[in-house]
Amino acid sequence: MIGLLKSMATTMKHALDGNTFTVEYPETAPEVSPRFRGVHKFSQERCIWCRQCENVCPNDTIQIVTDDQRNGEQYNLHIGQCIYCRLCEEVCPVDAILLTQNFEFTGDTKDDLVYNKEQLKNVPWYKDIDPLESREPDRGAWIGEGEGELDYQ
Amino acid sequence: MSTQKETPDKPVVEGVDYDALEDLLGETVIDRESHLNAEGFVVRPDEVQDALFTLRDEAGFDHLSCLTAQEYEDRYESIYHLKKYDDPTEEVSVVVPTSKEEPVSQTAEPVYRTADWHEREAYDLIGIDYDGHPDLRRILLPETWQGHPLGKDYDQDKPQLVSFDEHANPLQEDHADAESDTMFVNIGPHHPATHGVLHLETTLDGETVADVDPDVGYLHRCEEQMAQQGTYRHQIMPYPDRWDYSSAGLLNEWAYARAAEDLADLDVPEYAQVIRTMGAELCRIAGHMLAVGTFALDVYGDFTAIFMYAMRDREKVQTILEDLTGQRMMFNYFRLGGVAWDLPEPRDEFFEKTRDFLDDLPEALEEYHDLMTGNEIFQSRCLDTGILEPEAAKSLGATGPVARGSGIDYDLRRDDPYGYYDELDWDVVTEDGCDNYSRVLVRLQEVEQSAKIIQQCIDLLEDWPEEDRDIQSNVPRTLKPDPDTEIYRAVEGAKGELGIYIRSDGTDKPARFKIRSPCFHNLSTLPEMANGEFLADMIASLGSLDIILGEVDR
Amino acid sequence: MIAQQKTLLPDRVSGLLGLGQYGVAGDLVAAFLAAFLVGNLMLAMTGVAGPWAKRKITAAFTDRIAVDRIGPFGLFIIVADAVRLLSKELIIPKNADRPAFDLAPIVVASSALLGFAVIPMGTGIHLADPEVGLAYVFAVAGIASIGLAMGGYASANKYSLLGGLRAIAQNIAYEIPLVITGASVVIFTGTLQMSEIVAQQADPLVTVAGITIPSWFAFVNPFAFVLFVVANLAEVGRNPFDTPEAPTEIVAGYQTEYSSVYFVLFYLGEFLHIFLGGAIIATVFLGGPAGPGPAALGIVWFTIKIWAVFLLTQWFRSAIPRVRIDQLIQIGWKGMLVLSFANLVLTAIIVGVIV
Repeated sequence: MIGLLKSMATTMKHALDGNTFTVEYPETAPEVSPRFRGVHKFSQERCIWCRQCENVCPNDTIQIVTDDQRNGEQYNLHIGQCIYCRLCEEVCPVDAILLTQNFEFTGDTKDDLVYNKEQLKNVPWYKDIDPLESREPDRGAWIGEGEGELDYQ
Repeated sequence: MSTQKETPDKPVVEGVDYDALEDLLGETVIDRESHLNAEGFVVRPDEVQDALFTLRDEAGFDHLSCLTAQEYEDRYESIYHLKKYDDPTEEVSVVVPTSKEEPVSQTAEPVYRTADWHEREAYDLIGIDYDGHPDLRRILLPETWQGHPLGKDYDQDKPQLVSFDEHANPLQEDHADAESDTMFVNIGPHHPATHGVLHLETTLDGETVADVDPDVGYLHRCEEQMAQQGTYRHQIMPYPDRWDYSSAGLLNEWAYARAAEDLADLDVPEYAQVIRTMGAELCRIAGHMLAVGTFALDVYGDFTAIFMYAMRDREKVQTILEDLTGQRMMFNYFRLGGVAWDLPEPRDEFFEKTRDFLDDLPEALEEYHDLMTGNEIFQSRCLDTGILEPEAAKSLGATGPVARGSGIDYDLRRDDPYGYYDELDWDVVTEDGCDNYSRVLVRLQEVEQSAKIIQQCIDLLEDWPEEDRDIQSNVPRTLKPDPDTEIYRAVEGAKGELGIYIRSDGTDKPARFKIRSPCFHNLSTLPEMANGEFLADMIASLGSLDIILGEVDR
Repeated sequence: MIAQQKTLLPDRVSGLLGLGQYGVAGDLVAAFLAAFLVGNLMLAMTGVAGPWAKRKITAAFTDRIAVDRIGPFGLFIIVADAVRLLSKELIIPKNADRPAFDLAPIVVASSALLGFAVIPMGTGIHLADPEVGLAYVFAVAGIASIGLAMGGYASANKYSLLGGLRAIAQNIAYEIPLVITGASVVIFTGTLQMSEIVAQQADPLVTVAGITIPSWFAFVNPFAFVLFVVANLAEVGRNPFDTPEAPTEIVAGYQTEYSSVYFVLFYLGEFLHIFLGGAIIATVFLGGPAGPGPAALGIVWFTIKIWAVFLLTQWFRSAIPRVRIDQLIQIGWKGMLVLSFANLVLTAIIVGVIV
């Protein structure tokens, strides 16, 4: 009987203290850690079309189309199929691809979740967090679109 | 058969006198081969039981850890990985080759009951026929599946045509036989208490379970095959997170990391080992929180407080893990030879956050004890229900909290040390009750022990000299282990012994990748626990096994 | 202490509208109007309890926020849920035993509503006051078991069947202790008439430091009160005695196959039964509509009392595990029955000695 009463006391204590651990999303956007891996962002200016990300991707999420001169034409990423392992970012020698903190994306069909390079470029930062600060040291700042010093194309 | 090159720095497991074993086995041994973890005795397919009986009864190998079946160009092969519950470092393999034309091998089921499910899986995926097996049906794939998908001649592009009459109403037969008073009930695959897509074919006699047959495979995602198509270096590591997805990802990653690192002879810096140990124990807490919470859900019934409290505490762990690894569940944090990232900067903040969690944990656990273990109705529901005797548990290959709840003192972290565990001060928790209550108690106490380990890891990491913080050893970008090297390694996952068998073929991808899933074996103990008990107790027993269907079905 | 309203609600309606001159037809209309009023009052409470209060209460116990999107405190979720539930497709299993399948939810819901007819709710809301009031309310509440068994059997579903069987076993096991414990109160009162039971509880029991404690039977015989509350929990199938539904074991028991309107009726019926249980507890043990303040506040006190019982059921739901069916039956036949008879005999002896 004591145990039952203790159970009831414990739950009542929680009911009365008024603390909740759920939040009202989206009014209260959750904090994500700097290392969080969300939707990709891609910089065509930086990309050297080495195709390492395509090779390392465990489930063929990235598709790169080049012409016969090996100039990059398309960079498609199936965001609905991605497992957010961050291997593409890890192998990229020029930081052309980066997983942002942004986890909010929708699509009505699977096709909507295939992002081309324009869409990947326009993926917004989440809460203006620049994830590279938290990444491996010495990888340099991930420069914004069009501001890059180097044009690898 | 592999001819293992002797590498002096990687000696075959010591402690077992293989020559004596060979003498013991006598004429049944026709050949001998070396695996990285143990010697393998090649046995004729019709003498399997003789060999295994001898090894079990006279040499004490009472644990059939895993059965790996595979197809070579010229033969089929079943490898029985045997261990001892008393000392899992003492291993031996029994290799049973069978011919291509007639892949029939004697069953091991009379020796180890766990071979029942193992051999069904081998039959299902590879196509080896086990002679004398009591119930050789497919286990992961549907009954109507054509072909054996891990066999060499399997055509993946061939559509699976299933004729309509094979889809006859499975509910038609609802009595065990025409005269009996029993009732057949499908519990699952969509049922509030099956924790996923598990199907229990249950025969009820009133409220009593007359017979239960777990039907698994609904979540079979070809994880083994996916691993065989990935490169050692990068592409396999994201997938272990998806076996036991109850936030126990790092523990699973460690299973792969341990096997692959031993296979490719990679070192892991000590600093990375400490981080691994800490992360793994955080995962164990998260996994056990979910286990305890959902078990409470099964016993309490409604969406009750204890479940939400457990989830709340699990969220705290996940936040710490997110800071560390970048993800809440699918971590992909381990790399061969180390980990992906050092601790997050600022380190003090991370330590403080973790310490805060550890400081709050005893209070939270106290609450669980108030709500669960101290509650008289909970006790009356869980004490002496779902009994799993130690002998049955061993024979059925139960490991982890399920085995420890049956009084089996078996924990790979201590018995087969890896990582940094042997340097730390902690205890293996066992309970002798053999019932649902003991299993819950074991989990709750293991959370305390994990907290103790994390505490020590944090202290170590805090004082670690800055110049010595190697998180990864130097690992070649492409790993190509020597051809025909075989290894079986296991770690203590959240649910028990999680083993990986890898055979290399000289390429950068494994030729055979086998997962020994603890949940798979723990689930096979359900009929032992539930037959003759009440329906409600069966549900509680199922909850106390803490199965994750992603790991059962792989 | 509050003088009980002696006029019944139909008579007052009749008086207000001047229906008395139409004879029997007038009485019928008046009775209908009054019943309509009471029925809607209870249904409204159920409407608040089911989609909103239950969620909010559970959320409070589990540290969550729960519905808060539509309207103040998320109250309009009631409307949204009503529309959602009613607009769902009504799926009827192929092998369902049709008339029984359709009747079951109606029987469950209406049996509870019938019970409210004899409950004095204060502020003059009291539909009928037969001399056998207490027996009547137990009788109609018991009809629900038939509805549950019907639903369970007619659904052509094994889980439903198990649920229906459990419901029957449970209701039989706990109906007897419930009625016996109620009878121990009747020994005090000497009458089954609800208004009389309430009136007798108005007398002061003791006066401590200027505060007069009324002789509510919960104070006079707390043992019987506890027995009654526990038996009532089982009777309405709430935790820890919710085995007929037992979501983790038999999905949803007798209501597994019910959808849309039928499901709503079952759901309403369950909540009505909780409230009816609360109303019986309030009337028999807690002085009915009695409370501080003028008699006109009777209905407020009454509502508070039955909501307190509802809150208790939700509290148990969050804190106490479900007992197994065999334990439930054991507690019923070996525990509750014996205790309730002991209570009856003791009460009889005490009353016999004192009076």
